[in-house]
Amino acid sequence: MAQPGQDAKFFQRGKIEEFRADLQAAETKDKKFVKRKTVLKKIVANITMGNDMSPLFIDVVQCLGTPLLEIKKMVYLFLVSYGRSKPDQIHVVIPNFLQDCNDRNPLIRALAIRTMSYIPIPVVTDALTENLRHCLKDRDAYVRKTAAICVAKLYSADPRRAEKGGFVEMLRDLMLDSNATVVANAVAALSEIGDRQDGVIFRLNLTTANKLLAALGESSEWGQIYILDSLLRYVPERHADAETMAERIIVQLQHANSAVVLTTIKVLLYLMNYMENRRLIDYCCKKMGPPLVTLLSSGPEVQYVALRNILLIIQRRPAVLKNDVRVFFCKYNDPIYVKLAKLEIMYRLARAENANEVLAELQEYASEVDIDFVRKAVRSIGRLAIKVEAAADNCIQVLLDLIETKVTYVVQEAIIVIKDVFRRYPGKYEGIIPTLCENLDSLDEPESKAAMVWIIGQFANRIDNADELLDDLLYTFLEESVEVQLALLTAAVKLFVYKSKSDRAKELVHKVLKWATEDVDNPDLRDRGFMYWRMLAINPTVAGEIVLAEKPAITTDSDRMDRGALDQLLLHTGTLGSIYHKNPETFIRNATGKALVDSPALNPHSRAVLIGMTPVQLPPTVISVPGPGPNETHAAPPEAVSTDDAEAPPPPAPKDSRADDEDEDAAGSDQDDGDAEPTGKRDPYSNLDGAFGNYLADEPQPLGANNRGGRHNEVDDLLF
Amino acid sequence: MAIDGLILLDNTGRPIIQSGFRSTASTYPLIHIDAFNNALSKALRPGDVDPVIYIPAYNIADSPSACCHVQCADMRFLCPVSGNVDPLVGFAFLQTFIDILREYFGNLSAATLKENFDVVYQLLEETLDSGGHPLTTSPNALRDVVLPPSLLNKLLNVAGANINSTINSGSGLGSAGGPFSSPIPWRKAGLKYTSNEIYFDFVEELKAIVNKHGVPLSSNVLGKIETSARLSGTPDLLLTFTSPQILSDCAFHPCVRLQRWTRDKTFSFVPPDGKFILAEYRYSPNNSASSVARLAAPSAPAASLGKDNVPIPFVVKITFDIQDSSASFDITLTSRLTTRPLENVNVELNLGEGALGIKCIAARGTGGLGRGGVGALDMGLGGNAGASWAFDSKKRVLKWEIASVPPSSSWNLRGSFSTPPVAPRPSHALQVRFEIQSHTFSTLKVEQLQITGEAYKPYKGVRGRSTGYVEWRW
Repeated sequence: MAQPGQDAKFFQRGKIEEFRADLQAAETKDKKFVKRKTVLKKIVANITMGNDMSPLFIDVVQCLGTPLLEIKKMVYLFLVSYGRSKPDQIHVVIPNFLQDCNDRNPLIRALAIRTMSYIPIPVVTDALTENLRHCLKDRDAYVRKTAAICVAKLYSADPRRAEKGGFVEMLRDLMLDSNATVVANAVAALSEIGDRQDGVIFRLNLTTANKLLAALGESSEWGQIYILDSLLRYVPERHADAETMAERIIVQLQHANSAVVLTTIKVLLYLMNYMENRRLIDYCCKKMGPPLVTLLSSGPEVQYVALRNILLIIQRRPAVLKNDVRVFFCKYNDPIYVKLAKLEIMYRLARAENANEVLAELQEYASEVDIDFVRKAVRSIGRLAIKVEAAADNCIQVLLDLIETKVTYVVQEAIIVIKDVFRRYPGKYEGIIPTLCENLDSLDEPESKAAMVWIIGQFANRIDNADELLDDLLYTFLEESVEVQLALLTAAVKLFVYKSKSDRAKELVHKVLKWATEDVDNPDLRDRGFMYWRMLAINPTVAGEIVLAEKPAITTDSDRMDRGALDQLLLHTGTLGSIYHKNPETFIRNATGKALVDSPALNPHSRAVLIGMTPVQLPPTVISVPGPGPNETHAAPPEAVSTDDAEAPPPPAPKDSRADDEDEDAAGSDQDDGDAEPTGKRDPYSNLDGAFGNYLADEPQPLGANNRGGRHNEVDDLLF
Repeated sequence: MAIDGLILLDNTGRPIIQSGFRSTASTYPLIHIDAFNNALSKALRPGDVDPVIYIPAYNIADSPSACCHVQCADMRFLCPVSGNVDPLVGFAFLQTFIDILREYFGNLSAATLKENFDVVYQLLEETLDSGGHPLTTSPNALRDVVLPPSLLNKLLNVAGANINSTINSGSGLGSAGGPFSSPIPWRKAGLKYTSNEIYFDFVEELKAIVNKHGVPLSSNVLGKIETSARLSGTPDLLLTFTSPQILSDCAFHPCVRLQRWTRDKTFSFVPPDGKFILAEYRYSPNNSASSVARLAAPSAPAASLGKDNVPIPFVVKITFDIQDSSASFDITLTSRLTTRPLENVNVELNLGEGALGIKCIAARGTGGLGRGGVGALDMGLGGNAGASWAFDSKKRVLKWEIASVPPSSSWNLRGSFSTPPVAPRPSHALQVRFEIQSHTFSTLKVEQLQITGEAYKPYKGVRGRSTGYVEWRW
């Protein structure tokens, strides 16, 4: 690698010498500066291609005196690129800067301050400060709009100086400028400053927010994005304020620019937290659907961003797009990332009414070629069975058909999900176990093998040859992965509990326990082996009760996110945070988190799940409800429930917390989606009869472990 | 909300042109180029790279960032973003910039852009400020400051007259003809044409999925109104339609007054100069009926959705006979149209891994004969004109092309292939593309185009064109 690198260097050095000679030659006899212009063009070309031209600093800077805008532009470009790497030479240019700041041509004035703001060297910043103040009040709008952005740069170079100099206040005044572009740029600059962790807090009041809205119509699409985005910094104090604002911006959903559309949706979702009028909320939800669908007709990249956001939006506002599941059907030629995102959304939108339609699609996908996609499709069929009871029969039939194909990865994936289906509907589908057992030999992945072993152990009393099957599986016990070994150990114990009279079962369990405790190094396996052994030795009856204790029926494997976390993520709609489904402050340095701000107008259900900026440090009981919130019937219960759940219920009381959950689910959807029926029939999840609780983490888990949002996790873990 | 810059890569993954990246470390663009090339080399298919690549921080002082990218001709456009920025801003800007480049250079390629390096660079400077804030992106305003590389421009350059310098000298600023002087951002001031004309092209695209029983699962028609305006002065136009209610989910060019559309379903606008897209819409056949139905019975929407479907203008019948290591198939495509032909019909079928020895006969009806050849790209010509087939052995895709399918005619493709030693796994979906000239699915009609603010009567023209992209499963 060293050789070509050096060659490149030589090559470059030669060029620089060449350019320098050309520039010097151009100083004499340069009619209309054509020669200089040509050389500078070449130099600039090299800069933009990434070649280092900084050795020419002094030579290039000398051209600054040339009375030709084009040349000036190129020299400034050079300065922007290399100025900050030449702190000891930059002072040479200061007089030129100062002169240009007072040029009568506004383009040159703007160029000068813009260039200076990109050179964060104290000498330059000193010179900039005074001139920037003038330029912010320049009579020419072009200069003002440039100056606004420069303030943000000055702020990042020296925050305290910018604050002391009163620049933030000047920017605030510019938000009321008569020119829409100036307003938009002032907003952009303030947002940039406000997003810094060390920056001033940027909030909008109603008057300013309305002024900004007035400028919206005349702004360019990019200006609209800045202005709309800044509306998230406005906290409505009254329901009516939020509602009026939503009505004013809803028309922007018809903009041709996809970024404008998504930003508008973000603002609407935000404002809906502060709205009371259910009809308007419904109307907003209805209006949001079509533009989202339109985004799906764009290129795959925009589709991807849109899909990731739709996934968040429909979890919080199920009314959006709930009738549009067909839009998300995958095409054979869709890129894989689009397909996977669509699959997830299809699952979310599935409910009793459309389950068979979705199932038919999933079945179609399961015969495709892409292994990753096929696996996800098969898994989705199982999740669908767990989620929509009405479709469970059909889903099982499809899974059996798929097992019939004997394609190994399809079979394995199917068995993994069927295990969960058994737990969701105990006593309903065990009849298919023999079919599953026929495919034992094709299982070569730990997860599917463990699932199958679990099934054999759990239903050993129904499988006539369970001992034979287990015996076969145990041949390779010592070579299996830990996951499978653990499953085998438990299954052998279960078999023994079921058939304690059988000699073969006795022999098997003895063999496994011996292996687990003597021949295996894994401490978990050894410990579990010893535990079983002790239990069986001391009191086999009680051991049986413990090992075969009735398990709570499984909830859907829904990874429906916690409401509060959703609210917070939705503030980042259309940003990197929503693509990765993480709050940006957790993965982007210097990003400030956003959180819903409490106000009298905040919807009580949003308040109940309000997440502060540092949720981790909050003990679960101190979620206070400050401010004189409007008294509504549903305002109190959710909170009471959450504290109860975290502390009170003893482990074997899943029924109670389940009931609570249902209540709240119904109440929540009632409130948000404006459903008149108390049972919340229109909530796609409500017809599951609380089959899965409101807030669930990623894993399938028993109903008793009421996982109400991230902050309760530790407490719950301790209890169980 | 600012992006970090723009990088153009050629098809070998090397940067051709990039914007300044002045507020980032000099290694920053390199990291992005590297990360992108890595991701590309790992992807099974070039289209499968995640469009937003997560780029971890290079060293502790940096913050992680993301790289948005799109493919355009033989190039890749990268747009690095850092901080919690909307990737859609990146994509929207990329699209805008590509549109601008198209406007300037016509068909794009790495070679064209390399040749016109200076113009591209000027465009970058004008459209993206060095802090990553998009600036002027309206082609009308841009043409004032960056001259397109026309023959005239080249001639003038040779003759020594430098237009750029006079334009950029700033003396014109503030006076009538100068840049940025127009009160309407998307329209130039003081335009004059000897013949005033405006053309509207209604271009509609049908996108549908048909299941194995021949029933459309979803079908959507998305329309665009491509407009070309050459009008003097500042004309204010009012465009009305005979049945505006079939236009739903419209997205408009900023020039259209949204309030007027909401109020009386008309397009009222001062057009930009030249070519632009006035509006995009979705055609919903019984818009009014279904929305009433939805309001009345919100719990039973599935049924009403079915009616929204637009009929597919053809039928495909497929039979496949799959053996242990070979398969034969018979595909018949019949037009359902009665007056117009389907043109440039292009059918694609992925035959799956290992497909070899393709033999096909493409014919009209069921009787004709056509022969296929064997080679790296197998080719065959239809017996009675117009139908041909080819096999792309790299992508394993069988293509069947029919130049024109007359009304109600039937076309057939029969063939076989083998896939030793494995069983054939052809895809269960045909992709059919087609065009219909002078036809729109929506049969949208312009009622009137009124012009106010100018005295002349422009020449007006309206045309329709339809394309379709149907996935037909079997």
